[in-house]
Amino acid sequence: MFTYVLKTLWRHRTRTLLTVTGAAVAMFVFCFVGSVQEGLQRLTTGSDADRSLIVFQENRFCPTTSRLPEDYSRKIKEIPGVRDVMPIQVWTNNCRASLDIVVFNGADPQQIQSTRPLTLTAGDWQSFSTQRDAAIVGRNVAQRRGLKTGDQFSIGDISVKVAGVFQSTVPSEENLIYTSLAFLQYTRGLDAAGLVTQHEVLLTDDADPDRVASEIDAKLRAGSVATKTRRKGAFQASTLSDLVDLIGFAHWLGYACVGLVLSLVATTTVMSVQDRIKEYAVLQTIGVRPLRAMRLVLTESTILCLVGGIAGTALAMTALAIGGFAIGAEGATIAFRPSIGLAVTGALVSLAVGIAAGLAPAIQAGTVPIVNALRQA
Amino acid sequence: MALVELRGVSKSFRKGDETITPLDDIDLDIDAGDFVSLMGPSGTGKSTLLNLVSGIDRPDSGTITVDGTEVTKLSRSKLADWRAANLGYIFQTHNLIPVLTAYENVELPTLLLKLSSTQRRQRVELALEAVGLSDRADHYPRQLSGGQEQRVGIARAIVAHPKVVVADEPTGSLDTETSEQVQILLQRLNKELDITLLMVTHDSDAASIASRQLMLDRGKFLERGGDKEMGRQGEREVGVGNAGDSVAIKKFG
Ligand SMILES: Nc1ncnc2c1ncn2[C@@H]1O[C@H](COP(=O)(O)OP(=O)(O)OP(=O)(O)O)[C@@H](O)[C@H]1O
Ligand SMILES: [Mg+2]
Repeated sequence: MFTYVLKTLWRHRTRTLLTVTGAAVAMFVFCFVGSVQEGLQRLTTGSDADRSLIVFQENRFCPTTSRLPEDYSRKIKEIPGVRDVMPIQVWTNNCRASLDIVVFNGADPQQIQSTRPLTLTAGDWQSFSTQRDAAIVGRNVAQRRGLKTGDQFSIGDISVKVAGVFQSTVPSEENLIYTSLAFLQYTRGLDAAGLVTQHEVLLTDDADPDRVASEIDAKLRAGSVATKTRRKGAFQASTLSDLVDLIGFAHWLGYACVGLVLSLVATTTVMSVQDRIKEYAVLQTIGVRPLRAMRLVLTESTILCLVGGIAGTALAMTALAIGGFAIGAEGATIAFRPSIGLAVTGALVSLAVGIAAGLAPAIQAGTVPIVNALRQA
Repeated sequence: MALVELRGVSKSFRKGDETITPLDDIDLDIDAGDFVSLMGPSGTGKSTLLNLVSGIDRPDSGTITVDGTEVTKLSRSKLADWRAANLGYIFQTHNLIPVLTAYENVELPTLLLKLSSTQRRQRVELALEAVGLSDRADHYPRQLSGGQEQRVGIARAIVAHPKVVVADEPTGSLDTETSEQVQILLQRLNKELDITLLMVTHDSDAASIASRQLMLDRGKFLERGGDKEMGRQGEREVGVGNAGDSVAIKKFG
């Protein structure tokens, strides 16, 4: 009986191909949207987002406008619950939302190595920490810009030598380029000697992040520049707030894609069943049970949906894996990465939509008035 | 007890305000091994009768029993199972599944039965052999002639070894020569395989090959002179389709 379904699909291969392609495109978009949502989700949750704080200048949003004394880190370190503080100078080529944002973070190389969850996939820490203009590049940036160890990379007034490429357990970090703090502070146009954009605070295991944050702000209120301290996740979400709204809206796009696949496959299946309603009457005359006739239709719609959906999902995963896409604004970025969860979701959604799309035509085929259908010419 | 028994069967159709009652309180017995032909003017309810016997349609009243099973009582799903095991249906326009080969078309009914793949293959091959189409097994319906298509349809109807095979104008869309071949085939199936056949036809030549010839006209059965047991000629009224007439149809003798 399965042969019958396959041969029917093959008989109308143009229609089958168009439907499968449509389903594939829609599921491709679905997975892309899903990956953006996942990226945002990762940015605001997880240990990196929850267990570290960012100290920024009060009422400032773009990294170029936040200027904090570098020695604040000494004062912050005195507060109970603080394990380590890393002063960071940020430089970005674009303060507005952009798909090809390049963000430099300048910090102490030893501290980067010891506190950030990075592993070098090329190059070595030694040359990064010893050369003044050395940089290690996140693998997303490296992919996007085609960078490899030994390359010279220039953007704006900054020119660095790639000492290594890293991957990170925090995907958004893979959009960063790390340099030494001093190198970035003395870049022309920044004039940031003794100043940094932000301090990243690592907490001890038992510390309450919000309490520590307010203590930091209270303590630094006496200093030359007032600060605003937030959890890293909340900080990034507020930095990207415009994008967050946009991405929140984009999930409707994901639902729309599911709806699109549903209506596409349902239309094809309804057409297919209506064309062959007499065949279903003949099958039932031969002795095929109504439920079995329904199963045949459901198999047909599910095959269409699964083939298209899985192809689209696989394409999306491939594109996400090799594209190194990211969207960013004001020094914070959201990485679009493929994930097993997303792939499984894509496949399950395709399966569910396939079954749903076949329900109406399946009932039609199962309950066909046999005699009337047979009397049709 | 007859293999097929119809008792007080009525069936009417509504067309707008009008109600057509082609079958009104009909009784009919068909014995196992009979080859019954059914003739009659267009629109008298011959196809309707076949559809009722095969359980793809339901009577408004009355009972139909086939080999002890009261098919009028079965659910749609149970009826499908019953047909798979007990009934073969030969259509006028063969109604083969176009995407399946001759072999696959004939195989369809066997997929609904509990058979091993060897048994299944054997049955399909025997059925194709019986209709003389073993060499066309891999052909698709569009690659077959009308007569060949009809023979595949016949093979499909007999492959499950049904108790009863019904045929609605099986030679209706064939030329005289092909029609004769199909008639001879049906006669052989009846004689050699002992298949009980109920065939509707407009062709009196086709009807004459049957062991028993019935006419249906305005709700009445007329048994024609082909009745071999009686050997009589001409038509006689054997039943009157009036309500309350419980012994309307019976064989003479
Ligand atoms: N589904 C239906 N709806 C309405 N009327 C129907 C339906 N099926 C059959 N009829 C009517 O019932 C009557 C008997 O139809 P049936 O098809 O049984 O005739 P028949 O004897 O097979 O005719 P023919 O020799 O032309 O095939 C006809 O008048 C037909 O119009
Ligand atoms: Mg008819």
